[in-house]
Amino acid sequence: MKNAWVLARKDSAAYFNSWTGIVMLTLFALVAGIFFLFPLVTYTKMSLQASPEAYAGLKGFSPSRFVFGSFFLNFGNVMICVVPFLSMRALAEERSLQTLELLFTYPLSDFDIVWGKFLGMIRFFFFLTLPTLSYLFLFHWIGAEMDWGVIAAGYLGFFLLGTSYLALGLFISSISANQMISAMITFTLLLGFWVLEWVSSVTDGAWAHFFSALSPFGHYRDFTLGILDRSDISYFVFFNLYFLFLTLRSIEVRNWKG
Amino acid sequence: MPVNEAVNVSVTPPASDVMIQVENLSKNFGRVQALKNISFEVLRGEILGFLGPNGAGKTTTMRILTGYFPPTTGKVWIDEGDFHRDAKRIKHKIGYLPEHVPLYRDMQVEELLRFVADLRSVPRKNIKAEIEEKLKICGLTEVRSRIIGNLSKGFRQRVGLAQALIGDPKVLVLDEPTSGLDPRQIIEIRKLIRELARNRTVILSTHILSEVSMICDRVIILNGGKVVASGTTQELEDELSRHHEIFVSIGDHHRKMEAFELLKALPGVEYVKEGSEHEGQVDFTLSTFKDADLRPIISRLFVEHDIPLLEIRSGRLSLEEIYIKIVSQEPT
Repeated sequence: MKNAWVLARKDSAAYFNSWTGIVMLTLFALVAGIFFLFPLVTYTKMSLQASPEAYAGLKGFSPSRFVFGSFFLNFGNVMICVVPFLSMRALAEERSLQTLELLFTYPLSDFDIVWGKFLGMIRFFFFLTLPTLSYLFLFHWIGAEMDWGVIAAGYLGFFLLGTSYLALGLFISSISANQMISAMITFTLLLGFWVLEWVSSVTDGAWAHFFSALSPFGHYRDFTLGILDRSDISYFVFFNLYFLFLTLRSIEVRNWKG
Repeated sequence: MPVNEAVNVSVTPPASDVMIQVENLSKNFGRVQALKNISFEVLRGEILGFLGPNGAGKTTTMRILTGYFPPTTGKVWIDEGDFHRDAKRIKHKIGYLPEHVPLYRDMQVEELLRFVADLRSVPRKNIKAEIEEKLKICGLTEVRSRIIGNLSKGFRQRVGLAQALIGDPKVLVLDEPTSGLDPRQIIEIRKLIRELARNRTVILSTHILSEVSMICDRVIILNGGKVVASGTTQELEDELSRHHEIFVSIGDHHRKMEAFELLKALPGVEYVKEGSEHEGQVDFTLSTFKDADLRPIISRLFVEHDIPLLEIRSGRLSLEEIYIKIVSQEPT
């Protein structure tokens, strides 16, 4: 476990030392800022225009849910583009540099390697998300009422969605030595999962239910509304574990394929 | 000497002077049998060379010894420990330099060594000294803060060796450590390996035969996934050059038959081959049993019979010829 952390540290440091990492940090902060500003501006406009009568119709309106909810919901889509760039190098780079061969001979188990790679991406993902905490101050500063439950649920959902996408990306990265191909396949699959949400909206009955249950986005939406549902959490935990397990099996292929 | 394959896999650890014991190792990749039941041992402090053509199983064997993958069947003992029962602990005892020297190209030399030291659980307070020492041994002090991707092939090879040395493993496994280097770098790396071997057990594979006789105490020749010969270079030469060849050239082609009969009648001669004939000169090649050097007898004999002897020389098989002879035989 300690060794997994050593590997994770090396990997996340590599992001910071590369232009890809720096560009990603900048773009991520920029795009996140835009996605936060839009609902925030809409909210301030609303609060300025609203007459007491209009407020009556908005009973139960939560500014936190309105602003942070829309932010997380929209920004979740951006992760479809971010994750492939983050995950593409994880194992594909090690494979193309053939450093994976050395990793296998260091005192590390296969699990340590997969877990370390995963943690390395999560660590960088954490640093990507860190600047968004400043939105809390901004939100507080404009005098909006803070609903901590909604905000925490939003962050938890965003974290779970992000790690799930990263787990999928890690698996794809483990089956290819080419980073570009790895990124493209990951992007296509994530897009596929996103489309499931549409598919569920154009189908009826059991099918609609099936596609909606399969779609990460359907589960993610609950979090952005401030709803913590056990089935949503289980879905993401399973999603993570499933792709980590596939990654583990995929790196074991060397044992019988050479 | 040709190797007799052991049939039984023992369950007791090997004797304490044995660093590596490999018993009945096989490795299959699908239907391809890359290793076929090989057994050998390496003594503590020994430098063992693996020789063999491409696809002989050298890299596969090394990968099993370093824990890259487990064997399909068979057992590996390293430093009296059963490898696959206690892989993580035993991996601490092995330093590995793979064939193409894979390194993180965007890392600094020192940064990479620190990463490896962390992975190899070098105590935090010793890491600095450990890195300093390895940089010094491998002649990397001057390039310690350079990006690995910008280093020359020779330096990268040294970085590869340095990472294998971190944590002071008792066993070093080096897959073709001199391939792709220029002659000066080759000499330097060889020297370095010899120094490193002073207090370690080293296994290395190579294509260069002279390297084996220069560096290694013992050689194992692999072919088609089998050990086809093993021993010191001297033993191999003695054992395999069973036949001594003597080359004789006479200056009178009229006396060809007479000379032929004389040579054939000598004790210890297996056969005589008549070679080319040009400008009155005739060549013969004799094959004799190795213990008898017939050159003085032949020259005396020809003088007695007044046959003009132009040239006589012994053709001892070189390691090169032995190697070709062995690997060109289809393994049984």
